[in-house]
Amino acid sequence: MFLQLSISGLSQGAIYALVALSLTVVYRSTTIVNFGHGDFVMAGAFVSYVLTVMLGIAFLPAAVLSVLALFILGLCFSRGLIRPIRGGPHIGFALMCIAVGFVMRGIARIVWGREVLPMPSVFDMPPIFLGNLIITGDAIFIIGTTAVLLIAFFAVLALTDVGKMVQAVYQSQRGAQLIGINVDRFNDVTWGVGAALGAVGGILIAPVSLLHPDIGASFLIKGFAAMTLGGFGSLHGAVIGALLLGVAEQYAGAYINTALIDITAYLVIVIVLLVRPHGLFGRKSVVKV
Amino acid sequence: MMPTQSQLRLRTVLFWMVPLALLAVPLLVNSYVQFIVNSVLIYALVTLGFNFVIGNLGQLAFANTAFFGIGAYASAIATTSLGLPWLATIPLAGVAGAIGGFLASGAALRGIRFYYLAIITLAFGELMRWLYVHAKSVTGGTDGLSLPRETVMGYSLTDDRVKFYVFLVVTVLLFKATLNLLRSHVGRSIMAVRENEVATASLGIPTSRVIVTGFIWSGFVVGCAGSLFALHTSYVFPESFGMLHLIISFAMVLVGGLGSVLGAVLGAAALTVLPEYLRSFPGMEELFFGLIVIAVLLVLPQGLASLLRRVSPIFVERFYRE
Repeated sequence: MFLQLSISGLSQGAIYALVALSLTVVYRSTTIVNFGHGDFVMAGAFVSYVLTVMLGIAFLPAAVLSVLALFILGLCFSRGLIRPIRGGPHIGFALMCIAVGFVMRGIARIVWGREVLPMPSVFDMPPIFLGNLIITGDAIFIIGTTAVLLIAFFAVLALTDVGKMVQAVYQSQRGAQLIGINVDRFNDVTWGVGAALGAVGGILIAPVSLLHPDIGASFLIKGFAAMTLGGFGSLHGAVIGALLLGVAEQYAGAYINTALIDITAYLVIVIVLLVRPHGLFGRKSVVKV
Repeated sequence: MMPTQSQLRLRTVLFWMVPLALLAVPLLVNSYVQFIVNSVLIYALVTLGFNFVIGNLGQLAFANTAFFGIGAYASAIATTSLGLPWLATIPLAGVAGAIGGFLASGAALRGIRFYYLAIITLAFGELMRWLYVHAKSVTGGTDGLSLPRETVMGYSLTDDRVKFYVFLVVTVLLFKATLNLLRSHVGRSIMAVRENEVATASLGIPTSRVIVTGFIWSGFVVGCAGSLFALHTSYVFPESFGMLHLIISFAMVLVGGLGSVLGAVLGAAALTVLPEYLRSFPGMEELFFGLIVIAVLLVLPQGLASLLRRVSPIFVERFYRE
């Protein structure tokens, strides 16, 4: 029972990790928290649905195309809607993100109405039995893909020149500008990467759950909860926080009450911010004035 | 350009003349228009309360929907379970909303600000919605609660024209109270925190407490609006307090003008009338309000109130960021 819960928790947590990481990537370089990110995740899932189910493209090329589409969408969003309001109050960014999220959600609902779309399972292999333990193909697929992506992401960050550039911008936008990094373009690309990473989460979750225009909202909250738990702004914190959250949800649901699965994330946010506002790995975030 | 003394006096006269003129509305319009006008009054209060937090206090918050729901449920529960007359539940709903405001923002006392506070308020709102659904014995779960039919001094409270007069009195009182609060030292501290918290604190103002105060007043105003909403639709259920209501509130605040009290009326009036036609198409409202917010942010960041300010200095306030 315990191991079974841990595995389903980890596969949920893997999705949350992608969402939380993509939120963090954008936050670290632009100091904007994308309150519309859940809807980017939703958009990724819907684009892959259109490509695979409606146009009949095979899953893998469809997934790559969806990620690419969301990358471009994120880039255009940054270039067309975030840059023009840079001069205004910071609250404007958050409102812009929310508004764009609602626009995407509205479009999805206009096209698909209130129906709930089932997505065919991608990894149609018989589940593996290890004693009492059942491991589904989907769980392996989700955890495996996420692990590969995360390793690649952190390797790029730690080992390559691009990674050094990212670290430079994270430390100081101004300093990065002084040594010749085009920070504006960097931020646009970051938005693209954020949207694309989120889309991967959406594409992975689509086959194991039902698609509807409102799935984004819950992912946003889970992403926030993971970030808060791991430490707001910490990249590895976001991943670890997400995995912990995924597992915690399953335990809370199984051992206490199933209704708790829905609100574990909220409780995590409230408790962490009250008890330890900087989370597990974050820097002190509290204002002392 | 600031208004002159005579313009200020004219403004005071206008503030009381407009509601007096509105008293004639029920005599002039049909029942459908009356229903819309009632909605405008409720949304004006919702926008006023929300604007108080995001426009005047300058904190990002998502709990507005929660305060609205708390007020509506407080009113519905007090009338159905406790048997109180609806009129008596308005202040009760306000207090419930104010308590909600304290709970949503209490973390500010521990030094939690902006994004973190926003996320807490988001979580608070969702927790409340979870509670509406799961606390079945009190809230009626997903079925919701319907309010009993009542009369006040012989007039039936199911009549939209009777409701209008009650709504109008509550709205005018809360607008006047908010204006007074904004002009007091509390209001000035609230706007000072928005401009520069460190500088405000250096003047010896307890900024954390100021932030919580802002949320409490916002909760009170929106809670009262929730109570009106409960009677307006005579039916309270969780769906009314979801994400759609959130984007509507954001859009109304922005369209009217961030931080402007006059803007709260303008935003509510403009956006309550327009989308009535969209209601029957799923998704259209979300698309519409989303696009409105984007357009306002790009083209008219100070909202409709800023257009009026260009016409006459009478409409200049000291509550928004220049």
